[in-house]
Amino acid sequence: VSTETASLAALLEGRPRSLSEQVVEWSRSRTLANSWGALALVALFAAMLGLEQVIEPGTMRLLSAVFMFVAMAQAWNIIGGFTGYASFGQVVFFGIGAYTTAVLMNNYHASFWVAMPAAIVGGVLFAVLIGLPLLRLRGHYFAIATLGAAEGAREVVNNLTPLTGGGLGITIPTFGLEAPTPYFGKPGFYLAFLVLAAASVALSALLARSKFGYAMVAVHEDEAAAGALGINTTAVKVIAFAVSAAIVACAGAFYAFQQIEFYPTDVFDANFTVLMVIMVVIGGSGSVIGPLVGASGLELLSQYLRINLGSVNQLIFGAIVVVVVVFFPQGVVNFFRDAWQARRLSFLDNIRRYRL
Amino acid sequence: LSQFLQALAYGVVQGGLLALVAVGFSLVWGVMNVINLSHGALAVTGAYLAWLLNLHFGLDPLLAVPVVGAALFVIGYVIQRGLINLVINAPIFLTLLLTFGLSLVILNALQLAFSADDRTIDTSYASQSFAIGVVNIPYGRLAAGLLAVVITIALATVMTRTRLGHAISATGMDRGAARLMGIRSRHIYGVTFGISAALAGIAGTMIATVGSFNPTTTPGQLTLDAFVISVLGGLGNMYGALVGGLVLGVAETVGGLILTGTWVNAIAMAVLILTLVIRPSGLIGKAQFSGRVEV
Repeated sequence: VSTETASLAALLEGRPRSLSEQVVEWSRSRTLANSWGALALVALFAAMLGLEQVIEPGTMRLLSAVFMFVAMAQAWNIIGGFTGYASFGQVVFFGIGAYTTAVLMNNYHASFWVAMPAAIVGGVLFAVLIGLPLLRLRGHYFAIATLGAAEGAREVVNNLTPLTGGGLGITIPTFGLEAPTPYFGKPGFYLAFLVLAAASVALSALLARSKFGYAMVAVHEDEAAAGALGINTTAVKVIAFAVSAAIVACAGAFYAFQQIEFYPTDVFDANFTVLMVIMVVIGGSGSVIGPLVGASGLELLSQYLRINLGSVNQLIFGAIVVVVVVFFPQGVVNFFRDAWQARRLSFLDNIRRYRL
Repeated sequence: LSQFLQALAYGVVQGGLLALVAVGFSLVWGVMNVINLSHGALAVTGAYLAWLLNLHFGLDPLLAVPVVGAALFVIGYVIQRGLINLVINAPIFLTLLLTFGLSLVILNALQLAFSADDRTIDTSYASQSFAIGVVNIPYGRLAAGLLAVVITIALATVMTRTRLGHAISATGMDRGAARLMGIRSRHIYGVTFGISAALAGIAGTMIATVGSFNPTTTPGQLTLDAFVISVLGGLGNMYGALVGGLVLGVAETVGGLILTGTWVNAIAMAVLILTLVIRPSGLIGKAQFSGRVEV
């Protein structure tokens, strides 16, 4: 909370600055630790970039999934973390992205490189369409309304059989002359998801330090006060929702092409939303590094449990979620940052803060 | 017309059953501002308990209702005191995540213990029905619907006429003030969640009697239904769940008559969103609950 109040204070005192000014200023004046952090992320990206030459296909597929969840967690963090509107229907954009891609490639023989931008546009349009009425709601009511939108959209796709194939699923032609775009293969999707993840981390980092980022946090902290300061809160909320939707829809487009064949229940699966939320919250919401840590940690953990524990893996996973929520309610990253700043490591402080 | 009347009658009794699922959910949401994603899991726990009692002791599910209710009350009280009270002041998505994790644990434990098979409690009367004119009403569903009405009235009476009910309402309105009046809010929260869990368990028992249940698909559907009904009916009024349940039950059966496929589900979601946008306090709820800022 302290850092968020600090950024609100920065908004109050600072003059309006353009995004490019922010970037220049950021690159010059950030503390050494932050520069090292950015450098480390770039180095990590570079290392991952060469990795598809040496690792085996199974690992490649696993890492592709990790990258996809990193992108989706960053996306959820923009609306749920920075702006403070906990969307429980973010999977709707995943489904829209996947189905736009599949329908364009299958029914209209469009290239993937046409279908994917179309999927992003579709996601953004739908975000604006439902965002304008729904972002007036708050708290649980916003959560349920978005959940309802996702469930409703799934049923619509399920019943528009002539266009989407309905419950029988849809298949993207990938081989031979039928294929509008040749299949990427495992290394190709590894790179695609890696670039998507890196792009969303970079976007999130730039947003966090822009004037728009401060506006999002201001809306989160106190919407009425933000409005009184001259922030167009409706615009901020809808744009944040749309940016988030764009990333998720893009992930959905790549996922659709990777899966080749899928059903409405696969790409509108509410568990995707729940995973996004869990990853952000466990990593640390409202920060850039939190969703990155949460998504990679949790996806690797759940894959490890699935491989090594067999039928009890979901039970253990649920128990871990419960324990982490109780002991790290502000997220692992924020917990250790606060502990470092206060030079005090105590789990009980966390429990004391939120218990009755 | 007879088809329509039949659908209407079926919708009303189905609505009663759905209301029974939702009334506890709506109570916890209204009093503690917690969306309990493990509500469906608790209902299915109750269903398994009644199923076991029937299997081993031949206990009739209607007679098992008090036993299941008492057992789930204890489980619910312990969950609230031991877990949810620890994060009750945290941002909303933490309680959502906590109950989601809890639901995963409960359901996977049930699945390991009883497999993912569909179960049902066989009774002599569940499949029988009586006719009024052209309309057939099954006994099992009628019993479930009547039970829902009785329980809702009982709950409303407790909330408005007893000290416990007043304590629960007061804690829901202003916890700080309630504590100053000497109300132990930890205990009251425990009791509230216990009542909610007991009602979920009873609903689960009735579901097991009139239909079938399993630990994989049933709980999610029940929680979602409870969501929709609570929003439709509105919070802060004990009869909200009953009204919401009846509206949803009738809309689903009558809609199913007119529309093909699963379009009716899409319509239900559209109605939900429209309700939220136009009248977030629900059909008969109190406005204070929808104005609550809780991020």
